[in-house]
Amino acid sequence: MNLGRRFPSLLMARRNIGRTKVRSVLAALGIVIGVIAIASLGMFGLSLRYQITQNLGDIGNQVQVSPAQPEQGPVEPLSEREVRQIEAVANPEATVTPLQTRFTSVTFGPGESEDRVVTGIERPSELYTAREGTIPDPYRSGALIGSTLADEQDLDPGSTIVVNGSTYRIAAVLAPGDGAGFGSPSDRVVLPPRAFASREYDQVTITEVSSTAANETAMAIRSRLNDRRERVSVSDFSSISEQIGSTFQALNAFLIGIGSISLLVAGVSILNVMLMSTVERREEIGVMRAVGFQKRDVLKIMLSEAVLLGVMGGLAGIGFSLLAGMAINHFLVGDFTLAFRPQNFLYIGLAFAFGVGTSLLSGLYPAWKAANERPVDALRG
Amino acid sequence: MAVIETRDVVKRYETGGETLTALKGIDFAVEPGEFVSIMGPSGSGKTTLLNLLGLLDDPSEGQVLLDGEDVTGLSDRERTDSRKRTIGFVFQNFYLIPTLTARENVEIPALFDHDPTVEERAVDLLERVGLGERLDHKPDELSGGQKQRVAIARSLINEPRLLLADEPTGNLDRETGRKILEEFVSVTEQDVAVIAVTHDELVNEYVDRTVELVDGYMGSDVPTNGGAAGGSWATPYDEGASATDDSESTAANAGPTATDAGGDGRDRTEDDADGDAEFVGGDPLAGDADGDDPDSGGDSS
Repeated sequence: MNLGRRFPSLLMARRNIGRTKVRSVLAALGIVIGVIAIASLGMFGLSLRYQITQNLGDIGNQVQVSPAQPEQGPVEPLSEREVRQIEAVANPEATVTPLQTRFTSVTFGPGESEDRVVTGIERPSELYTAREGTIPDPYRSGALIGSTLADEQDLDPGSTIVVNGSTYRIAAVLAPGDGAGFGSPSDRVVLPPRAFASREYDQVTITEVSSTAANETAMAIRSRLNDRRERVSVSDFSSISEQIGSTFQALNAFLIGIGSISLLVAGVSILNVMLMSTVERREEIGVMRAVGFQKRDVLKIMLSEAVLLGVMGGLAGIGFSLLAGMAINHFLVGDFTLAFRPQNFLYIGLAFAFGVGTSLLSGLYPAWKAANERPVDALRG
Repeated sequence: MAVIETRDVVKRYETGGETLTALKGIDFAVEPGEFVSIMGPSGSGKTTLLNLLGLLDDPSEGQVLLDGEDVTGLSDRERTDSRKRTIGFVFQNFYLIPTLTARENVEIPALFDHDPTVEERAVDLLERVGLGERLDHKPDELSGGQKQRVAIARSLINEPRLLLADEPTGNLDRETGRKILEEFVSVTEQDVAVIAVTHDELVNEYVDRTVELVDGYMGSDVPTNGGAAGGSWATPYDEGASATDDSESTAANAGPTATDAGGDGRDRTEDDADGDAEFVGGDPLAGDADGDDPDSGGDSS
């Protein structure tokens, strides 16, 4: 009652909504559905994006630097000094992995020797994980081979292979799927750099802390090393990652657009209910005007009623949306607590605001109509 | 000074290309504390007059003066304000808000004032009309007479100087009607003027004077039958205002009305002058105004 005394229009609105309970609940139900649609579709889009970026690994964080093809002559590999320069440009938290590659003959066990690419990596443990065996750190001896190759050639840690005449014991079989930026490591042969005579590198991979940092690093490397001539070609995946991001944003906007249609329908049903209510209460409103209610007082009462319907519907909608969000995250990502991410609350807030806004808009015309009815006409019945 | 006064008020309605003149020059004044009834057949302009007196409508011509101030041509907002300040309304159908309790209904006119004394005043008024026990009852838990008493309490919450009642006894039985009319009389004792538009002859037992409206003319001003009225029309009512004996005041205006309305059954007013009680008792109109009365039936639909 005290609240009603302070906000008399709210008191009237609450009583009026209570007068036709079923009808009010049905009108609010529209808002509930609309809010659920917007919030859960938004959260669905968010979870989908989360799931896909998880699967892509940190592709967006990687930058690859390789020597550029000069106008004349063969490709000049990157010198150790250039690798230092790249390391200096990258963030201190980033990992910089120089790679050497040679095309050379490899013999697996008793079979024929074949020519394949052999990669030299200084710290492979930064890029790969082992399926079997362990990746030595520091990496001084032994070979690492990809899982597919290991299965094909029936190799295990402890087997030996011959590369360009030297024999290497296999230290580990690499787990598939990691290091997406490099392509699959599944048929790779990795040796310590000391197996290569030179201290020159064919590629440097930088794994940055974020895709933005990757982009910045890529630009810094370009300006540093390509100062006078096109020395290196730098490719980073941050633009791809951004593209994925914007694609999902568009998808989310589309999903929310679909959700908004249900709110539109809800708005129409509130409009209808409010119009019915003004017709039914015509005389009552006439009396209120006769006893001294200004037009804006009537407007306030009617709008409070519409907004109250929206708030009730919106709150119920939020409750259901959180449940839906938990279900979506449980089935899509496998962690229902992700429903409580801050971005999800952004969508929930957005949906709630849309719901209440729709109710307010729908209430405008009936409220205006009720307020502008001449009390004389209203009382005549 | 009169609480409310009309000067040569004319009201025309445009309906379907035709102009209907509902009031054809009304001069009328009510003093503080006076109890006046306005009677007349259906379509005589009673409700139109009440709407003008209640500042619910503007006259087409002439002036309406509230406490000596011209209130014609005011904006809706200003009119609503003066209405709230000076005028209370009581309706035939009570028009209580069904979702609110008796006390809340009484508070309605002051609802947006944020006045902390309103609740207290509402309780006082309800106690005054004998509903101290029914403060938190909803209208559907009250009888017709109780509802009308709540409506009277509501009309008094803003301490008006004028109370307008549209068929106040129309939906009540005679006994309850009397109680309501006694309530009005006690209201007039507080210097509040009461104007009741009615068909109910019972009302005339309580009023200070009765004014007859026929075809948009008031009382003796009716020009039918060769202008039997003549003279200055307002005079008989001004005299009647001071008269406390209501049979005398009824007799004062019964003459001219009876002469022109004899053909349409209005001659009961004449009988009323000499045999008030017995006639009213036998009059079906007075007994059950709602069911049998064509005019009140039309008003409430």
